[in-house]
Amino acid sequence: MTISKYEDINSFGLDVLKEIGSIGTGNAATALSKVLSKKIEMTLPQVKILDFNRAIYELGGPETIVAGVLVQLYGEVNGMMLYLQKLDFINIILESLMGKKINSYMDLDEIERSALIEVSNIIISSYINAISSLTGITINLSVPDVCVNMLGGIMNAPIAEYGYETDKLMTIGGGFSCDGMELYSNLILMPEIDSLNFLMQKLGVSCE
Amino acid sequence: MKICRAPGVLITYALGSCVGICIYDPVLRLAGLIHIMLPNIYKNQREQNILKYADSGIPEMIRKMEAFGAARSRLIAKIAGGAKMFEVAGGNSSLNNIGARNVESVRQVLRKERIPILKEDVGSNYARTLSFDASTGDAIVKSFGKGEIKL
Repeated sequence: MTISKYEDINSFGLDVLKEIGSIGTGNAATALSKVLSKKIEMTLPQVKILDFNRAIYELGGPETIVAGVLVQLYGEVNGMMLYLQKLDFINIILESLMGKKINSYMDLDEIERSALIEVSNIIISSYINAISSLTGITINLSVPDVCVNMLGGIMNAPIAEYGYETDKLMTIGGGFSCDGMELYSNLILMPEIDSLNFLMQKLGVSCE
Repeated sequence: MKICRAPGVLITYALGSCVGICIYDPVLRLAGLIHIMLPNIYKNQREQNILKYADSGIPEMIRKMEAFGAARSRLIAKIAGGAKMFEVAGGNSSLNNIGARNVESVRQVLRKERIPILKEDVGSNYARTLSFDASTGDAIVKSFGKGEIKL
């Protein structure tokens, strides 16, 4: 049997996704720690399947300003990944890479944006690598883009893209802390339903 | 979708590629606000949340407003949203133009319903919070780093 909606995933399937989340977060923490030369701790990620509106509130409310980096997945698995972060995280990246801090999102210039995209790309790729090495499938990534704006507007991108298929989305929350500071970071993973079935099948999860 | 009379204020937060459409009857001071996500509904779709789509949601709101006594000849519209939040290269999606397609669809629907668009703030690359005051007929668009503008 195949699933036709995200909420059809059974608890076993969710556990598998959580496991992928953990492995991905582990990889990402290692990569991040190397790039930033800092000690990064990770917490157990939480995988949730939420309504669009619920998700926006759980992630901080529609008018919260965040930086979102978006990558599209294509190839054997189609979908989208969105990595959300806030100013504290951006400052840790900028401080370690460029030795400076910014006071507001408005101060981000071209090169700082580029650094931000690069680090987010590393994190996203870590997750994709986790999925890819567990399943042996090839996933291509598009060139990432960053958008600093209201959370609600940023979330429109995956919502509109998959609005015809689903009203839910999958968030992998939790994640990193650095210098004893918990960092806001959230990853939204939106595979197409067909791709999700394919993934589940490859992972040996039967969705009955 | 929400409908209210003066002195109510309707608001929808953080429109990205979505479009917010305010329709107003200035005589009754009756206002409607709908937030659409996608341009067209698929006819054979199982899930039928008609308020998500421009071509099904807007006529539904007009129908409800008429039930509250609005006269179609008096109705005016103000719209905001339809931004392009991300520029994704190398992907194969509708992502890059979904905002523009939403705006286009909204214009078409309103043209068909013979409701003039008095003011609009659409496109570009930032999110907007749209509020509409039923007592004055003013729409306020608030966006990050750009302050407020009155439509």
